[in-house]
Order: sequence, then structure tokens, then C-alpha cells
Amino acid sequence: MIKVGFYQGCCFQGQDAHMFETMKEVFRMIDVELELLEETTCCGGNTIDEENRKLSYAINARNIALAEAKGLDMLISCNTCYMVIAKAKNALDNNKKLRDEINELLKEEGLEYRGTNKIYHLLDFFRDVVGYDRIRKAVKRPLKGWKVGAYYGCHVLYPKHTAIDDGDNPSSLQEVLKALGAEVIDDYEAKDTCCGYHAFFTDKTMTMKKLNRILGSVKKAGVDIVATPCPLCFKSFDIYQLQMENPPMVPSAFLPELMAYAFGLDKRKSGLGHHLIEVKKE
Amino acid sequence: METVTLKVFRFDPEKDKIPYYRDYEVPVEGTLLNALLYIKENLDPTISFRAFCRSEVCGSCSVRVNGKTKLACKTPMKELVKTWKGKPLRIDPLNHMKVIRDLVVDIDKPIEKMKTLIPWLVPDPRVVPSDPRHESIIYPEEMELYKDQIHCMLCFSCYSACEAVEDNERYRGPFAFSKAYRFQVDRRDIETAKEKRIRYSISGGLWSCVQCQKCIHVCPKGVKPAEDIQNLRGQAVKKGFTDKPGAKKLKHYVDWIYATGQINRLYLPEEVYGNKEARKKLTEEYERMGIEVWEVPKPTKGLMKFRDIYLEILSREDKALELDFSHVRKIDKMVSDIFKADICTIVDRAHQNNRKSKGLIGKLKGLLGGSDD
Repeated sequence: MIKVGFYQGCCFQGQDAHMFETMKEVFRMIDVELELLEETTCCGGNTIDEENRKLSYAINARNIALAEAKGLDMLISCNTCYMVIAKAKNALDNNKKLRDEINELLKEEGLEYRGTNKIYHLLDFFRDVVGYDRIRKAVKRPLKGWKVGAYYGCHVLYPKHTAIDDGDNPSSLQEVLKALGAEVIDDYEAKDTCCGYHAFFTDKTMTMKKLNRILGSVKKAGVDIVATPCPLCFKSFDIYQLQMENPPMVPSAFLPELMAYAFGLDKRKSGLGHHLIEVKKE
Repeated sequence: METVTLKVFRFDPEKDKIPYYRDYEVPVEGTLLNALLYIKENLDPTISFRAFCRSEVCGSCSVRVNGKTKLACKTPMKELVKTWKGKPLRIDPLNHMKVIRDLVVDIDKPIEKMKTLIPWLVPDPRVVPSDPRHESIIYPEEMELYKDQIHCMLCFSCYSACEAVEDNERYRGPFAFSKAYRFQVDRRDIETAKEKRIRYSISGGLWSCVQCQKCIHVCPKGVKPAEDIQNLRGQAVKKGFTDKPGAKKLKHYVDWIYATGQINRLYLPEEVYGNKEARKKLTEEYERMGIEVWEVPKPTKGLMKFRDIYLEILSREDKALELDFSHVRKIDKMVSDIFKADICTIVDRAHQNNRKSKGLIGKLKGLLGGSDD
């Protein structure tokens, strides 16, 4: 059993809290124990950086320090949280003055950022720690005949210094989907288009145009469902899609939900049964 | 000798009705620019592309390889073959600009867009001496603020890769915002010009950036336009341009994270767009599916100390007054009303109780960050 600290961010709380139980179950089935890092806070969502970058570094130094205090590596399941925390880690590891200044503040809580532990996103965790074989072995209900569109989302691929896969031609998502027995569709036209999630509260028309491109493109490619390892891209697809003028009603899934379903959990327990755009495929 | 196929975009508007691709077999050695020069010298002298310095300085040889923007003289052929596993490499001109011929695009439009953001120094007479025999001194720590941005060589890689340019005609382009920001943090530049740059940035699409980070990814010189755009947004809010949705979103993040350690997605539509219905609708929709919705996020253990750190950083950066304490108090009140205790007590109590407690049940489940069963 591998034990890893789980960073929940703003997802897996509030209306998504049920998803954490599903995640725990999914990971247990591939011999990973998730320990919830309860005292962590929001990563700042790449928005606090607009207010002040040092504040973003401090918040995330604290988040990482909480995992380090338990002697655990940190698993982050959201693309944006991953990128923001990875950028902070990068800044802290390369700038002793910044690290010392922030550690001075963390002392009050008895915490220290040391930079000793790793941070992972789902995709590199599956590739480098779990291994695709273990995922393949946990499958009880292969997604046979499911045409699944692979959608990465931007923040695990760009920028280069925090990316977990080759930004130009990535493969880690396809590998997981293949291990689940799905037919992977990864060459649709808008596969690299941003999901527009972060523009929803800054320039909504941008989000709608992005969704139009992506969902139109996957529909044309004939997918049954779009799968993404990012809960924010998933929200964009499942919630914001309904605000489009003519929603194409393309079902989507957060990757662990598909894993849960393939591992034998039912529609409801896997999370697939809770979508605003119904997942009809069985 | 190992070779690979380049499928090169060809188009001569004087002769061709539509563009087409022509295949060339090139050696896998040197850079992509070497390969293009190899074609011109050995296979087909009619091919057009821009290139000059061959050493990542002039910024003229940017193209797209299988859709991904690359500076040809900086991109080893071996790396491309490895990335694309020996498959043919489709070479296209940069995106978002008119093709003049083959791989040569018209850069006038992004240049004109950039000029609207005043990407030059407007000297402040109080700082810059009017006597040309006197220098105005720049200290190293000032230089630190724009040491990356000054490397922009106008290669237009970011403009080609940009998601906002793609869907907003008015959007000035990542490089243009980096060029503008560079003067926003220059002490020699006059305040009135700084104010104008913000105004023009906003009308030029400052809030349309989707923060995809592709500009940072493709920049051959290490410029970080997406981060400069964040910096400009922060400046816009600080200068009082707070009416845009993006500014209200930022306020939501700053206040809620301070107050609870989390943002609150239920309240975002209301606080940004004044949409009170959204919270109700979303709550109902989830309840219909049997999912319990918590109105406030889980106040984290150590919240009060977290607040200290938060405030300390903001005061050091001279930003403490940007926290809206009356908003924070409202959030605190909301938390106390729901949990029937003030926020300090809640945080303490939540972490004294063990996870199996059935005291405040439902609502407290969120507080404890997991399920009770």
C-alpha cells in the first residue's frame, strides 16, 4: 500500500464532497491510501497571483509544508491547483531569500517548507508511482465500446517547467483510458483548445466560444463521452455547457469517475450518475 | 543518414487558389531552420520562409510544427522526431496572421495592436533629467522587475499560440501586454502614461485572457506574458478599475480565502454578476440528485494563524488595505449563523470533536472535510 497526502483544493468540498469518498475508494483499489490533508487551504486558483504573487507562494508553501510535516508526498487532482502549487514550489526551491521569509511566517503554526517531498498530479502519479498495469488489473467492468475523447486541460501541459507530460504530444491520459479498456479518441481538432473555465468570471463569452469549439469538435469525432483529469475542465463541460445557446449536450467525466465505474462501482457511486448532462452509456 | 518527411504548407496568392502541402525528405540533424534551408538549397528553391540570425536573436523564423509553435532556429530536428515518434512533421505558418506566401506571414496587425498599449517610455521629468548629459540611473533591484520582458524579440510565437487572440478580435496579444507591463514597473515612466496603459489594456482585452499558459510555454526567450497579464490585472484593480467582472472575481478570491481559507463557488455568480438565482438553482439541482450542498466552505484548522500569515504578506506588500473587512465580517456572520457559533469557536470545536460526532451533523460534515458514516 502506497500512502500519499491528498490535496483537495476547492473541489471535493461543498457540492462535490461525495467525490472524495469515490476517490478514496478508487485509490484503495489500486493499493493507494489517500490521507486527506485537512488543514490545507485553497491554492489561490491562479487568481490570488493577480493580487500578489508572494501571497500565492506563501499560501502554497503552507500547503506543501502540511504534507511535509506528515512525511508525505502530495497528490493534487486539479490541473490548476497542480500548476499553481508547482510554480510556488519552483519559486521556493530556487529562491532561498523567499523561502526564508515565508518560513519565518510559517513558524507561528509550527510549520516549515523544506522542499523535501514531491508533488504529483493524477496523471504522473498513475504513470510513475502506480503504473498502468495495476490500473488494468483493477478493472472489473472494461469500458468496452466506449469512445472516450481524451482532454488534458492546459495546466498539466503548460508551462514547460511545471508540466507533467510532453506539452506537444502527451500520452499519459490515453494510457489510463486504454488501461480501462476504452477506445481512445485523441486526434479531434480542438483537443488543445482551452476549456475556458477561468474566463467564466472574467469574460464569459470567451468560455462559451471555447466550449463551442471543443464540444463541437468531439461531437464531430463521434465520442460517447469526454474524459478529463481536471475537475475544473469537467465543471466547464458539465455545468457551463448548459449556458451555451444550443448546448450540444456532450456528456463528460472527471477521470477518477470513469476509473471508479470501470473498477465496478455503480453509476451513482462512481459520480457518473450525478452529472447535469446525463451519462447514458452503460 | 536518418531522414524525416516535412509536409510544408505552400501558398502563393498570385498563383494558387488554395493552399496545399508539399513533402520534402530532410536529414534529422541540426535545427528545423537547417532543414528548411536544406530544402531551399537542395530540393526546392521556390519555398519561402523568414530567417536571419540563426541564433535565437532576431525572432523571424517562428513556424508551427504539427500545430505547435516553434522558433525554427532553436528547435533541434532530433527533438521533433522524438516528440512525434518519427511521424511526418507538418510545417505551417504562424496562426492568426495573414499568409503572404508559404511560411511568411504579415505581422503588421499584431504590431499595430501592440502600439495601442504605449510600449515605450514616457519620461517623468521629475525622474529623468532633461539635460542629456545627465544619466537617469537604474538600480539592479529595479531592473529585476522587467529583466525577462525586455528579451521579447517580437517573434509572435505567443500571438500565434494565444487562445484569447483566437476568439477575441480586439485582444492585443500576450507579447503586447508584456511590453506594456515592462513600462508599468519602470520608475522613469510618468504616472499618467501608466494610467493610460491600464485603460487601453482593459479595452484591449486584458480580462479576456484565459490563463492557458501557452504563451509562457512557447516563448523562446523565457518571457511570461500570462503572468504579466495577471500583474496588469492587479494594477488595474489597484488603480480603481473595479467595475469589470474579473475585478469582482479577484475580490471574491481575496476576501473569501482570507475569511475561510477557501473560495465559495456558490456565491461567485452573485458576487461577480449579481446573479442571485444561480446559487438557488445550483443548490436545488444538486439536492434533486441527492447531494447535500454546504453553503460555506469548510473553515480549515489553523484558520486564525493562516489569516495572520495572509495579512502579514499583504501588509509587507503594501496591500493590506485591499482586504474588504466589512465583506469578511459578513462572511464570518454567515459562518456563525450556519454553525451557531463564532468562527474561532467553530474552528476549535470542529477539531476537538472526533469525526464520528453527530452534534451539528449535516452542516458540520463540511467542516470536518469528509463523510460522517
